[in-house]
Amino acid sequence: MTQPISSTIGTWEADNVSIGDVERALSGLRRHEQRAAVRASVLTLVAVTNSQAEADLVRGIVHDLGVRHPSRTLVVVLEKGETEAAANQGTGVDAALWVHALEQDGRAVCFEEVRLLVRGPARFHLDSIVGPFALPDVPLVVWLPASLPSPGDPLLDVADRLVVDSRAADEVGGDVLARAAVLARRLPVTDLSWIRMAPWRSLLAGLFEGSVNRPFLDGVDRVQVTGNAGPRLLLGGWLLRRLGLAPARVELKPAAHLSVRIDATDLHGRSGSFSVARAGAERVITSTVDIEDGPHLEQLLQMQERWPVLALAGALTNVGHDEPYEEALAGARELRGAA
Amino acid sequence: MTSDNPLAEKTAERVAPPAVLVIFGASGDLTSRKLMPAVERLALRRLLPASFSIVGVARTEMDDAEFLQRMMKTVLDVRSEDEAEGGGGGDVRHVWDAFSGGFRYVAGDYGAPDTFVRLREVLEELDRERGTAGNRLYYLATPPDTFPTVVQGLAAQGLNRPSSDDGFVRIVIEKPYGRDGKSAADLDRVVHEAFDEWQVYRIDHYLGKETVQNVLALRFANAIFEPLWNRRYVNHVQITVAESLGVGHRGSFYERAGALRDIVQNHVMQVLALTLMEPPATFDANGIRDEKVKALRAVDVLTPEEVPFEVVRGQYRKGWVEGQEVRSYREEDGVDPHSTTETYIAMRLRVDNWRWAGVPIYVRTGKYLPKRVTEVAMEFNRVPHLPFAADQAEGLDPDALVLRVQPDEGITLRFGAKVPGQTFRVRSVSMDFFYGAAFLEETPEAYERLLLDALLGDQTLFIRSDEVAQAWRIVDPVLEAFEEGHVPLARYEAGTWGPEEADELLRRDGRGWRRP
Repeated sequence: MTQPISSTIGTWEADNVSIGDVERALSGLRRHEQRAAVRASVLTLVAVTNSQAEADLVRGIVHDLGVRHPSRTLVVVLEKGETEAAANQGTGVDAALWVHALEQDGRAVCFEEVRLLVRGPARFHLDSIVGPFALPDVPLVVWLPASLPSPGDPLLDVADRLVVDSRAADEVGGDVLARAAVLARRLPVTDLSWIRMAPWRSLLAGLFEGSVNRPFLDGVDRVQVTGNAGPRLLLGGWLLRRLGLAPARVELKPAAHLSVRIDATDLHGRSGSFSVARAGAERVITSTVDIEDGPHLEQLLQMQERWPVLALAGALTNVGHDEPYEEALAGARELRGAA
Repeated sequence: MTSDNPLAEKTAERVAPPAVLVIFGASGDLTSRKLMPAVERLALRRLLPASFSIVGVARTEMDDAEFLQRMMKTVLDVRSEDEAEGGGGGDVRHVWDAFSGGFRYVAGDYGAPDTFVRLREVLEELDRERGTAGNRLYYLATPPDTFPTVVQGLAAQGLNRPSSDDGFVRIVIEKPYGRDGKSAADLDRVVHEAFDEWQVYRIDHYLGKETVQNVLALRFANAIFEPLWNRRYVNHVQITVAESLGVGHRGSFYERAGALRDIVQNHVMQVLALTLMEPPATFDANGIRDEKVKALRAVDVLTPEEVPFEVVRGQYRKGWVEGQEVRSYREEDGVDPHSTTETYIAMRLRVDNWRWAGVPIYVRTGKYLPKRVTEVAMEFNRVPHLPFAADQAEGLDPDALVLRVQPDEGITLRFGAKVPGQTFRVRSVSMDFFYGAAFLEETPEAYERLLLDALLGDQTLFIRSDEVAQAWRIVDPVLEAFEEGHVPLARYEAGTWGPEEADELLRRDGRGWRRP
């Protein structure tokens, strides 16, 4: 299978336009381009960004994503005025449209991208702007790359799923995981920070497959998770709940990169140590098994370079609530309460 | 028994348990072209545990390091450029570094007990050093005549049984499974003397194809198709497995097989069973396989008198395929210049059950046909009354639903629509769903999927003993008629859709083959 070739087959741009104008322009672009007659869409993706730079970053990711999840994408840029008063003066929308085609092995997939720069009070009523662009019968996913919405945000009324990144939002401060837990009660939430640690989780789970290592999970003595505040709390919370441990057995320590180690004893009294660690700047994860009088094994895994795209693609594959994540959030809360 | 792993997430792909993959025929083509690339891709997707180990067994003399080097090289040769880019060089290197500690090779004759004594020693050593816990997956990638010898060799050393209640020993057996019903039953007897049926994984890589599995998704996940899937609405079914290649360098193999054994007995019967089966009560291995067996059992066996009327056998002459002039089958390397081996089969089958009684199933397969395509087409009955004048509906064909397995995997629905304009005319239009247009995402290769299933102990996509028996029950009378010379060999020009006799088979029913 060859790599898909991407091309832009139609564009349109205008300032201070109505949503109706944008919709008509979008239909026009598709009507006048034969390749756009067949549109493949599995979802409507709405990315809400706070700056042009952030929007450009998002556009790059979304474009790469087209291969896996062709979708109608809205990148909304919230324009902040110099002052609160300036920001709230005069609602206006500037719009730009692109129709892209991805061609691969003689097949073409067409998808649309809408960029909306929103000014004024309309910024607080994005549901009314996004709603008309929602494709029928496919889920509408709202993605906030660097923040968390308030639970009362009207945009959540039109969303079937919310994608956030608790690690990126964490830099703003506050108890991000607790807020994520509140949001997860309202609608399915995907946290890219959680998706990003999928290799740690699956490698760790893999270490306990089979009859030799599995019994060690019944005798866990200590779990140590190191890393940034949010990720280590999330991973620690997941292990706390999945293994039914007391919070005192889970130790969290700060570090530049995420690592986890489980020390345990099996029914025969043998001690074993199981770890999944990223040691340094090199994008390599090492999983290790070290059992007393038993095998010592090490496996290295190169981390994916294109994680933002892959993490988002992974997130969009899910439907419904991410139960292990919600369990991890509950565990994180328990750990924080015990600290 | 070991309880479930609490860290394994239900929605995530399962990592295979610690195990040793023992490949018989390790120096062969199948191992280098299919099995090792599949193993590498599973490792790249983090689906193999750190302790995963591979033992190659073959007659060729080499040591562990040479075997590892050879496998690395062959996989590198097979890996396409874009895969190499996508996979990341560093990741591939780490995968092979991890493998290196668990790569072993046993050189020996399959008939020599010593080969299996040494194999046992190597396996025990791997259990100690790498914690593979006595779990083994044997893969018979050898010529079929060695299957009994290898099975008996394993049993003689006690390598056919797990060493503990928690462990597993499984065996994957490649097609062809027997040359006819009797030889398949003989092979089954040998296999079952050593292995229980739950340990046996008979592989047909067609079942590992994503789009073959999509037949099940289409039928049983959608309420709109299944109500039409019966004799009340379906006029007839056409199954086409067409290849645009000739026999290539497989001439001597093909001489002994022919299209009936090579394609119809396995691939066609599997696609047929998935198309005709009743909805399973459960989507597990036995739930699905029980229904497939029931569907195959309902296929009427042709009597010796019927075979010449219901079956067309053909062989390609020289011709032009995809812009290239190609030679006739009888001129191919390794082929008898007077060969009567068939490279084309067309047949009409009847299914005697409540759902399909009276609906003919037309099947065709052949080499050097105009294009490579596998599809199942259901043509529906015409409406009972057309309220238009005849000339208004001249371009209207019966509705049809086509499941395309390869290439351009997807579904086409053919139905009637008004031709735009002032006059009222109706013609047939096609609505295409390309599987690849909704999901450009790369799907796992068939061998990758099946190897992981075998390691995880999921037999759903493997063929059960009674399925094999049922497929041979249908094919055996046709083979006998061929061997007794009751069915004349029709010749067809390479690059055409087969002999004229195949067209006649449908024409006398008032029908014609689709052009896929």
